[in-house]
Amino acid sequence: MTHRMIQPGRASETALDRVRGQAPAMRPNVRRLAAFASVHTCPTAAVAFAARIDTNRVLVGTAAEMPYGQSPFAIGRGVAFENLLRRYGHAELRRVLTDGLGVDFSLAAIENLREGYQPNRTGLTLRASVTRNRMAEIVAAPPEPIVLDGAVLRADIGGLAAFFEADEMAIGVGGQIIVGENKSWPVVDGRPADEDALGAALDQAATYVLLGRRTLDQAGVDPGRISDNIVLVTPRNTGLTPVIHRQDVGSRVRRVERLLGAVPDMNDIAASIPPSVTFDRIADVTLPEEARLDAFGEVTETLGRVYEPASCLTSCGFAWACRRCIFAAGDPSIAGGLVARTLPGIVGLGRVAELGRGAPPSPAEAPAAVPVARAGRLYDEAMPASQAEERRPA
Amino acid sequence: MSAALEALLASRIYENGRALRRTTLRHTHLADPPLGIVMWRLGGERFRAAAVAWGPLGGPFRLAVAGEPRNRDLYFAALAPLAADLCARARRTAGLTVARQRGSRTEFIPADALQIVVPNQTTIAALGLLGRYLAYLSDRGGVTPDPTLIEAGKHLRFYTRHARVPGQSLIVPLDRLVSEHWATLLSPFEQANLAALDAQIEPPLGVHAFDASAAAEALARIGPEPTEDIDRVTDTLMAEFNAARGGNTTRPVVEPLIGPLRDHYRRLIEPVWELMGRVVAREQQLPAAPSVRRRFEGDREAFGRHTEWVTSGGRYRTTDTPRQAAMTLRRLEDAQARYEAERAVEDAAFMIPHLLSGDAVRGVVASVSEQRVQGRVNRVRRALIALDSDDPVILPVGKKLWWTATAGDHPWEVQAVHPHGASSRITLMLCAAPTPARLPTVDERITLSTLHTRPDAYRLPLPQDPPWTHQPVIPPPQPEPIDAGDAQTPPAAVDGTQVPDPGRYA
Repeated sequence: MTHRMIQPGRASETALDRVRGQAPAMRPNVRRLAAFASVHTCPTAAVAFAARIDTNRVLVGTAAEMPYGQSPFAIGRGVAFENLLRRYGHAELRRVLTDGLGVDFSLAAIENLREGYQPNRTGLTLRASVTRNRMAEIVAAPPEPIVLDGAVLRADIGGLAAFFEADEMAIGVGGQIIVGENKSWPVVDGRPADEDALGAALDQAATYVLLGRRTLDQAGVDPGRISDNIVLVTPRNTGLTPVIHRQDVGSRVRRVERLLGAVPDMNDIAASIPPSVTFDRIADVTLPEEARLDAFGEVTETLGRVYEPASCLTSCGFAWACRRCIFAAGDPSIAGGLVARTLPGIVGLGRVAELGRGAPPSPAEAPAAVPVARAGRLYDEAMPASQAEERRPA
Repeated sequence: MSAALEALLASRIYENGRALRRTTLRHTHLADPPLGIVMWRLGGERFRAAAVAWGPLGGPFRLAVAGEPRNRDLYFAALAPLAADLCARARRTAGLTVARQRGSRTEFIPADALQIVVPNQTTIAALGLLGRYLAYLSDRGGVTPDPTLIEAGKHLRFYTRHARVPGQSLIVPLDRLVSEHWATLLSPFEQANLAALDAQIEPPLGVHAFDASAAAEALARIGPEPTEDIDRVTDTLMAEFNAARGGNTTRPVVEPLIGPLRDHYRRLIEPVWELMGRVVAREQQLPAAPSVRRRFEGDREAFGRHTEWVTSGGRYRTTDTPRQAAMTLRRLEDAQARYEAERAVEDAAFMIPHLLSGDAVRGVVASVSEQRVQGRVNRVRRALIALDSDDPVILPVGKKLWWTATAGDHPWEVQAVHPHGASSRITLMLCAAPTPARLPTVDERITLSTLHTRPDAYRLPLPQDPPWTHQPVIPPPQPEPIDAGDAQTPPAAVDGTQVPDPGRYA
């Protein structure tokens, strides 16, 4: 398993900086990577990701700004849970790992990489180096297990070097490395209180497994040393008392690998962006709202957009703005990908409505027009009053 | 779901500027009035209802606000009136019974059932967790919890488990009810916002449904999970409340201090309450489908069994045994199939996807005849019809179809399909002795489909002792209290701008 680690060229970086303009920047992390993976087929999202634009904050102050913050109580709970795991020399973390992994962690060396390093790129580089070295020690079979708290994995995403921070890595458990993820939502009766949150956490852990394997591969160590069985540490029931769960994320690792493989190369993206494209005006809060939204429409029109409600609305800060553009254009994808794929050859929702009333289709429209016309006839038969609906301009 | 139908509906909504009805009938029982419940949790705290509003929909609501819901004493004191009211309503409703004859057996089931209406499916999940917490409270600190809290917890657990039954009406999430009855330009993810759904159905004059729902989506707060802006206010007010009470949890001290928090949640709940009332009133105007009565009878029966079990001190498992899980799955699958069939058979609009997919045919009866065919033993009378379908169809010989007028009776079997002008002529034979009620008339326009409402044959119950292949290594745990964490100090709220990466706590 070999992977390229290409730094974007100076020209590419300049081009991407120009595209970003004054738009808020972001540092890639696993959640943002997972979010991008859901929308990676969208050219606008790909450019925003390559230019490290924080899509949540570009449209602040406009009607298309999506809510993205988190309750201070929820953050407080998360912080408190992590502090609980770390206090008294990571006593609680040692206890749950011992209980859950069947290996005595009471004397394990626990390195807290979140402390003692600068919170910048230099610090992350150093932490990534420590993580790689400690992971490589698996070959020497350390006498006691090692736990890395806040391990950092350096990875190449579409040719762009990025750092990803894992909660835990337990090294030397039966000759293997186990990835751990802390979550503050509770587990009750052995089941998560929030199944969506469980899925997201397992996806995160699967990403760490994949990136860890790539790191081991580059260090010349068997990547199979990282187990598919990850560890989730969550509170049990109403309090914060931690409990451990093992979960096989093998299939998720393969999915993440496929998704990362589909991420376009950043140098290619940078080279293909027309010179007129910039998010500068979109993020300019001194401009009137309409001007910013018009600028967004022009940028996405130039780059192209793929709107799929299910993934865009949960993963991309541009979703509401794209939805406005899609609606204004009468694009069938406003109703979802399934509907849009049903209508090859039909240009817009206005034309679909005409075909639904029995208008003769063109040869290109014919395959899709027949079921639509039939649906229109059946609907009118079932609901004759529908024809009498007041017509309003779209 | 038919993609062609969805495309057509989307195009018409786009043109007309407002949502369209998906149904001609209402397929859910709606009490007059149902008991409404709106809930707001504290962010990230799955068991802590920061505010609960309840009452008969259409009237004023009662409001329970704990102030600091992570404090057990304050929490229970706030929830006690809700628990007492819920238990009293459940007992009162279950107390009035009617006789029902089942073969030679007479049984008594509640004449009505307490119906709960909530704004969305997320609220049902939140009530389920609250119910799980309350149903098995421990005597923490040597104080026996109020028994009505425990009983209310069992009621909430029952309602949330029953919510899985397709077609049930005991607990109605309005987002699902409206999505089933109306076609909108909203994706399933967007449909979780009841205000956005309502805005598409009744947009302000001159405003397109899309713009109306986008505005509603940006402004409306439905609950139960608070957004950052809501909990920033809650955090400030709660800090003031906690500082003022100085650790005191007695009613005389707490009551005068809780006003600002109560007002904060009242402002959030009032628009949701009004919205729920409007939505229910609109759906009540639609006539109920005939099968609603049968399904609600099943709900009443389940409600009666539950209240009898709970009031006699019964407890429920929190983890199903393999036998229970298998039986539940079969029951839910049967209910789903029957619910789909009943809706399509009774409501022409629900039949459209089946007609488009080829699971149903519609046409005009060209002839009705009778002939004798060889049965298993004797030659028997059988009716034959020739049906001229509206559209060309492809149907295999031997396929069984049910006429919608006799969907609970015997099927018709396809004998032959021939091209007939621009459509098809289908010859069908009734799989039972012909009677007038079973036969359509010539020139009658009828619909036949693969859907039927005939109850399946009696199924033997699963063995009490499942085979070793279905026995878990560790038996399911007994129900246990989950309130051990109540003694822990509540974590302090943390401002997202003060942590390097707030997303990591998501």
